Amino acid sequence: MKKIEIKISGKPITARAGETIVQALWSAEMAESVQTGCAGGVCGACTVTVRYADGKPGGTELACMKPVEEGMEVFPCPVESDKAVEPVANADALTLQSVFPTVNRCTKCGSCTTACPMSIPVMDSVMRMQQGNFNEVAEDFTTCIHCGLCRFVCEDKVKPHNMGLWIRRSLGKNQDELKITIEDSNQVEKEWQYLLIDEKQERFQRAKKFRESGSL
Amino acid sequence: MEWAKESLEKVERSRETRLHQPAPLPNEKESENILKNFHPDYLGKERTVGVGPNAGDQKFPLELADLLEADSPLPASHSTEPDIETDVLIIGGGGAGAAAALSLEGLGLKTHLATKLRLGDSNTVMAEGGIQAALAENDTPRKHFADALVGGHGENKTDLLRILCESGPEVIQWLSKLGCLFDRNSDGTFRLRGGGGTSVPRVLACRDYTGLEIMRVLKDAVRLSSTNILEEHAAVELFDDGNSTVTGAVLYDRKKGSLVNVSARAVILATGGSGQLRLQDFPTSNHVGATGDGLVLAYRQGCRLKFLDSYQYHPSGACYPEALAGQLVTEAIRSVGAQVVNAEGVHFINEMAYRDVLAGAIIKETREGRGVTTPNGKMGVWLDTPMIDMQKGEGTLAKQFPGLIHRFERYRIDPVKTPILIYPTLHYQNGGVSVDAQCRTEVNGLWACGEVTGGLHGKNRLMGNSLLDILVFGRRAAQSAKDHLPERGPLTLTNLNQFRKNQLKPKYSPVFFPEASKMKLELGALESEVKITESPSSEQTGSFEPPDPFAR
Repeated sequence: MKKIEIKISGKPITARAGETIVQALWSAEMAESVQTGCAGGVCGACTVTVRYADGKPGGTELACMKPVEEGMEVFPCPVESDKAVEPVANADALTLQSVFPTVNRCTKCGSCTTACPMSIPVMDSVMRMQQGNFNEVAEDFTTCIHCGLCRFVCEDKVKPHNMGLWIRRSLGKNQDELKITIEDSNQVEKEWQYLLIDEKQERFQRAKKFRESGSL
Repeated sequence: MEWAKESLEKVERSRETRLHQPAPLPNEKESENILKNFHPDYLGKERTVGVGPNAGDQKFPLELADLLEADSPLPASHSTEPDIETDVLIIGGGGAGAAAALSLEGLGLKTHLATKLRLGDSNTVMAEGGIQAALAENDTPRKHFADALVGGHGENKTDLLRILCESGPEVIQWLSKLGCLFDRNSDGTFRLRGGGGTSVPRVLACRDYTGLEIMRVLKDAVRLSSTNILEEHAAVELFDDGNSTVTGAVLYDRKKGSLVNVSARAVILATGGSGQLRLQDFPTSNHVGATGDGLVLAYRQGCRLKFLDSYQYHPSGACYPEALAGQLVTEAIRSVGAQVVNAEGVHFINEMAYRDVLAGAIIKETREGRGVTTPNGKMGVWLDTPMIDMQKGEGTLAKQFPGLIHRFERYRIDPVKTPILIYPTLHYQNGGVSVDAQCRTEVNGLWACGEVTGGLHGKNRLMGNSLLDILVFGRRAAQSAKDHLPERGPLTLTNLNQFRKNQLKPKYSPVFFPEASKMKLELGALESEVKITESPSSEQTGSFEPPDPFAR
């Protein structure tokens, strides 16, 4: 396996080509230098910034997903979580503005989109937030892992991921209440009695039969 | 994937035939043979333990048995002065812990939630495929029950399973009110999919990010609640009152590097599973904190453990590229049409077989030389993802499984066009702490919910029953703790000291982090900092010599 050199906060370590930054840190006994959570790309704990010796453009990454590359320099970039904001049913652009007053400060620099490790079109979505196109925003933020990088890189204190979640939860509050079917309680009780027979082997056989027939 | 060109051509050539003539589900006899000969649970890599409530009875995987017989890292001189007083202490920051915290809101109780990592860093957030609930018109909680019981080989605790199945619809209602958005059909009804062993489509999803959707909503709601959140606080040991009732916990504050004593009237264990023990050197789909800490803590208090000879090896863990090894490829991919195919392009088993049987069958293919070998020497079989768009229409895979596409595109692998290579990955701890229908453990003052418990899923869990489990029983544990809240008791380490009288292995548990990470909590280094006061419990232990906490 090919060995390559990378640096963690300036300290050189040897890594194997094909492994991720987190895997390289574990092998180098430097796991503590970058916080980790799921190590599967969905919890957003292991945010880092990366730059390259040869001047190739670097950027933000999740250390658990980013494969190591020759000459890579990695710097931990933990993002503190922000205060949560209560969602509101029937919210519109004005409601959003009132709870996230910085939404209109966006200068369209595009940093948030560049920073997003999930390839969400963050800046475009902030425009949609300003216009109140909340269904589209909800779709954009379906894959948001709340790593916080879009907020971290924003010079104008816009909080895209917080707004994305707030919009999703607010839309969720508009959903019709799920109607739970009330069944004939006699029939229900009969079926439970049949399925819950004490003798284990018989219970197993009955469950098998019930799966096929769906009822008594 | 130039190295696999030959095999991939065979897969492509056989696709048309396989589409029309899929492999049948294995019959009972075939299933049994596959399990006995190839499933890791059945290979005898287990033993009984010599100490604690399960001494000499059931078997545990070797890696776990070692932890149950290990000593506590807590210095024997540890003071029992409380630093925090609360009513309910929840240990664990995944879905079960969060659900418990939310259910305690508004009851006038003081609640603390402690997690070793950050709130939400858990297996919950990684769950992809979905959550089961009997919502289809032709479905009932009894069908759900029958499916899960058959899947669990009839070993499930039936009172728990009935509660799980009956609570499905109500939990979806609760999640929807919190603002969870599940995928819907064009007519506005929830889109329900099948899973291995479901007789009726019953799995709700949010693309292939269902756990993420649920966890981020729960996390937000918990942050908005009055719960006191203790992040990066690892649970090191439980306190008892000297009379077998649990009265709190010792936490280790990773940021400050200090121990924190919490006095609580009830403790709810929601610590999750143990995939990071990497049994038999399997890769795992679990988060870095899944090291079975809760099992160890409960065991030292006298709680019996159940079914821990049974783990779930998820059939479709990624096997290539190496960086993704062990990561989950959701079962939902199989339920919408991706077949499992060997190196020769043969559809050797129906992919909707139960998870344990399918995992065994994949291991069999590779052992018998019909697997695909990667450039790193790993073996796997194909998951023929291009079949999804062939059957369900162009764009289906990308639309319904954005997470899969996102993870593989970095490696220039497009699952829409190219099959992906899979091998079973250690996924779920089927067994755990024994609980009753109120989530009470066998020890007073201690409740448990979610993956740390054992019995609900029997010997094999169905897809989508774990997300349901953590929510149903997280809420139930909270309710029960509230209903049966003991008075505050003194903090002693009597149970621990009693346990320490056994012949223990010269190592420490919980281990907190995967061995491969080489991360350790340096509790020993704290001894000089902690207030050294003689606690009544340490007097009781008499001549007991504490182990050298500096020794490694």
